[in-house]
Amino acid sequence: MRSALVAILLLTLAAAASAQTSPDEQALGLLEDGRAYRAQKQYKQALDNFNTIVTGFQQTESVDDAWLEIGRYRLEVDDDPDKAREAFDRVAKSYPQSDGAPGAYYYLGLLTMNRALAPAEIDDAIAQFARVPRLYPRSEWVPRALYASGLAQRKAGRFAEAVEAERRVSLEHPTSDVAAAAQFQIGHCLALLGDPRQAMEEFQLVRNRFPESPWAAQALLRTTALYRLYGADKPSFSLDAGYAVGAGDLLKDVASILMTPERILWIASEKVKSAVPVSADGSRGPALGSENLRSLSLTPRGEVVLAARTAIRIGPKDIKSFVVPSDKPGELESLDKITAAVVTQAGNILVADAKRKRVFKYDHKLEFVGLFPDAKQRDVRRLQLDGEGGIVLLDEDEKTVQIFDEAGKPLRAIAARGAGYQLKKPVDVAVDAFRNSYLADVEIGVLVFGPAGQLLATLTSPELRRPTALTLDTDGAILVYDEKAERILKFK
Amino acid sequence: MVKPMIRTRLAASVLALLLAAAAPSAFGQDSQLSEAAQREMQAVQDLLARAVAEFDGPQQSRSIVLFDDIIGRLDELRRQGALPVRGREIQAQAYELRGRAYYNIGLQEKASESFRSLIQLQPRYSISKDKVSPKIVDFFGSVKKALVGYLAVSSHPAGASVTLNGEFLSLTDFFPLDVLAGEYLIEISREGYQTETRTLSIAPRATETLQVELARTAASAFFVTDPPGVEIWIDGEQRAASSGSLAPDFFEVVRAKGIDPSRASARTEIANLSLGTHVVELRKKCHETVRLTLDLPEPRDYAFEPVRMEESLASLTLTSEPPGARILLDGEALGVTPRELDGVCAGKHRLEVKHAAGRFLKDIVLARNEGLTLDCPIRPSLAFLGVIAQSAAGERNLAAVEERLIQNLEKIATLNFFPAPPETVDRILESEKTTRLGLVSASRADADLVRRVTERLADALEVQGFLVAVLPDERLQRTAILNLLAAGNATPDPWEVTWAEGASYLRFISAVDQKLTLYRPWTGLITVDTLLHDGVPVLRVAAGSPAAQAGVQPGEVLYSADGKPVRRTIELLSLIEGQKAGEKLALHLRTPAGVSRAVELTLGETPQEIPLNDPALLYNKVMMDLRQQSAGYPGTEAAAFANLNLALASMHFGYYAAAHDFLLKAKPTLPQRPGLSQGTALYYLGLALENLGSEYRKEAAEAYRAAAAVKDATLFNNDGPAVAPLAARRGGN
Repeated sequence: MRSALVAILLLTLAAAASAQTSPDEQALGLLEDGRAYRAQKQYKQALDNFNTIVTGFQQTESVDDAWLEIGRYRLEVDDDPDKAREAFDRVAKSYPQSDGAPGAYYYLGLLTMNRALAPAEIDDAIAQFARVPRLYPRSEWVPRALYASGLAQRKAGRFAEAVEAERRVSLEHPTSDVAAAAQFQIGHCLALLGDPRQAMEEFQLVRNRFPESPWAAQALLRTTALYRLYGADKPSFSLDAGYAVGAGDLLKDVASILMTPERILWIASEKVKSAVPVSADGSRGPALGSENLRSLSLTPRGEVVLAARTAIRIGPKDIKSFVVPSDKPGELESLDKITAAVVTQAGNILVADAKRKRVFKYDHKLEFVGLFPDAKQRDVRRLQLDGEGGIVLLDEDEKTVQIFDEAGKPLRAIAARGAGYQLKKPVDVAVDAFRNSYLADVEIGVLVFGPAGQLLATLTSPELRRPTALTLDTDGAILVYDEKAERILKFK
Repeated sequence: MVKPMIRTRLAASVLALLLAAAAPSAFGQDSQLSEAAQREMQAVQDLLARAVAEFDGPQQSRSIVLFDDIIGRLDELRRQGALPVRGREIQAQAYELRGRAYYNIGLQEKASESFRSLIQLQPRYSISKDKVSPKIVDFFGSVKKALVGYLAVSSHPAGASVTLNGEFLSLTDFFPLDVLAGEYLIEISREGYQTETRTLSIAPRATETLQVELARTAASAFFVTDPPGVEIWIDGEQRAASSGSLAPDFFEVVRAKGIDPSRASARTEIANLSLGTHVVELRKKCHETVRLTLDLPEPRDYAFEPVRMEESLASLTLTSEPPGARILLDGEALGVTPRELDGVCAGKHRLEVKHAAGRFLKDIVLARNEGLTLDCPIRPSLAFLGVIAQSAAGERNLAAVEERLIQNLEKIATLNFFPAPPETVDRILESEKTTRLGLVSASRADADLVRRVTERLADALEVQGFLVAVLPDERLQRTAILNLLAAGNATPDPWEVTWAEGASYLRFISAVDQKLTLYRPWTGLITVDTLLHDGVPVLRVAAGSPAAQAGVQPGEVLYSADGKPVRRTIELLSLIEGQKAGEKLALHLRTPAGVSRAVELTLGETPQEIPLNDPALLYNKVMMDLRQQSAGYPGTEAAAFANLNLALASMHFGYYAAAHDFLLKAKPTLPQRPGLSQGTALYYLGLALENLGSEYRKEAAEAYRAAAAVKDATLFNNDGPAVAPLAARRGGN
């Protein structure tokens, strides 16, 4: 109602001004004002302006841009992909020759990509993106479409194609607003393709060419992590003697530790019966209380997942318990020996249960979907996501780490024994952005494996006596909880 | 038989007189006559025509009345003081013809009276026997003899003007002239001399003679110069120029002054100089001006010492980038750069240095014996084709607003900006059946036409690019679109300016004058930033680079350069950016074993690709600069890289065929070494062919495969991403 009134008011004002200005000029004024509102995060006012254009100035040159802005509002503010798609479709179909059309195809591709799981769906998104440079080669949307196309290729696991798309942005549109991000993606994908030295060069280009970009700081973290692993003949980690985090009971009976991208270290301590966030300066945030804490993981959106024996907690409030069909038809049993949980990129929840020695898969409504990846018994102690959405399972019985895709297809594995190592009691695993795996073995120490499962390094130290949990800092440094010492060590 | 002929001649002479009279200037002073006097003169002219016709007719006596009327009317004008010279001539003629008419009918007394009046009016009037009956002539002579005497005047010096009672008679010296008998005041005058007056009575048939010595009141100066042809200026006014050859009489005088008589001018007199002091300047091109002060106390001749004019020459040494440019000094062709020009006249000159790549223009002033060395950077030239108003009715040229735009755009520093001669432009556009607007708003289908026309215009105007301002009609007086178009290109860079806003032109000029960096100083060091080191570890050293030659090894950590700490790679890059190729760079490194060492390397340079799409670049200006490089240094590596970048600029506009041509031109001259090289051109060749359509897919794949085989080739610059993997992927390997 309010929107309608505002629209009428705007129309009246516009009509009053028509004596001086043409409808095209009025519509353009409304569009520019609306965009200014959006930039100031006054989204409702912005939407009112855009609606006024599409209702009162349908014959003007600004109407396609207004629909595009409405679509953006639905997507970015309302989080309503369906309504957003309607708006973008309208631009693409009704105004195919307008300057808004390439933007519409870009956003349609983005919507498709966000929802896509199967390669064919991702290809649909890529096809939408490809329309932009093919049909509108001079459009300002071309670099964004190319960049998004690279992201889609990466999502499909086609890293070489992703590099090619992002390279086009970097070479052909070096001053566009996505050039820094594209350059970063080149480094990232090259690292995933197993070319860490070239990846470091590409990350460094982000810093050299876009030093003011937020991507420059991210690139520094990546070059640091890669250089530590691949800068010399062998990885180089050293114990940071001065590192100290947490104190007292918080460091007793620690079940799991987890570093977030914002550098908040979560410590799940059975002693204090909660997971406590500790920031880089040592200050503690609001804790997540629970008994029988088991493990921590991160959702794709960056929320902390705390798995306890009978339930999991996603973020600060959302506590979920799970049931599975029992042996008796029609009866359900609660999971009551949960060891780990993870939220996948598709929004499914995987829960490992020690009693049933299986991983159960639930959809976002907590409906049981099935076993993951298969019916084989596994004593899964840890569940994690790698940077590309791969699901990492640490099987305590088999002493292996296996990585599967969302559909349960095995991608990689770290065997119980291999060249230069034999796992004895692996208890925790972390995976970095480049798919290198870091394994805490109570009896050995910390082992670092490359993406292909080859041992890169074994970290031992007199201070490291009984590692039971580990996580990675944003720059690739390893944080290890030592149960005997009751402290967290940092290998940097 | 004689009479008719005489009549015919008389008629012809009267007709000529009448025709001459018809011309406004024929009356001499007519323009000064009052309107009434002019009307009266016209009436007299008409009467004369009628009277002469009657005189020549069968009843000649009927003309007498008409001549009476003419004479009476002219007497009246004389009394009014309004009788023009032409009126006197008509009156004399009327007296003669009336006298002859009287004589012919036997009224000799009346004839005598007319002739007397005629002689009193013009004492030296004569009638020729060739035209008139000898009897009448004799009769006229007898009348005249009774009325006139004779006067002869001579003076020293001769050439003085003689007036009788204020009326000019003649210049001295003259033989006896007919003068009406009577009393006279005679004045003899000559410029530079005192005027003499005499009173004299002249009796009929008597001859009076006067000899007068004139007293001098002004001076004359005589000049001799070596060489001749010297302008002589006195008190700021040019009075003469020396010329000719010196008479042998003066050889000794001149020789005594050390001057070769054969090189000296004739004596040049400047007469009538007032007594006192005068400032003299002797001027001759390519010679030092001589300034003299003339002191003329007495009215006499002054012969000044011969003057030798000293040559005033300078030398000019001209270089240009690129070299081989044609030198034009004041329009005269003087060879090509680099060139030393001796014997150039001192003074102001317009210097023009022209090259296919552009030109250099400068007004210079050379002092005597100066040796001026001038570096003449060749800049591309931009021809302004005019302001076009676009409307439904078509296009029209708005010459009136061009001046304002030209004034604003003359501040462009990196181009020679000038308005193109409209007739040349119109001729070419008409022959190609296109317009100025057609050049900047052509569809892609017309791209070849626009390319051809701009090439023709560029040749004719000796420019590398064009500017056309377009005024959309509804925006008249507010904004204009400046369209910058490089010769050989078909898509302009449009730029909107607001007429009244000087700042909006400055933004355009700033974009035009943006410096394109085609080469950068280069080390070949690839370092990365980490949180693990105080300095920056060396990740890679480009093969053959300055860093490789200096022995820098991957894995070493660089922690200072030229004494400045290096904590981030960008600090090292900034330091290098501020230096030039060939300069030294001192590096301090730490080996993986922790040993510190110092290394000095000599900076090289890396060519640089232009970005394919950068909204801040005016690609047409970029193309003008690149063509300057390409045309300026043909056959060199610099030209090859310019052609490579021209290909990228063409790709920017989507002209892949043009890009293909530039790449073919570039490839043979591009280096075969790590970095930007032939492999780079092969990669872009593949890209151009790929974009030319599916029929070129095979050739594109071949180009990509060839590029993939060049392992060390890079894109962007010598440190850029490797060509091989990208090319291999596109080539299907």
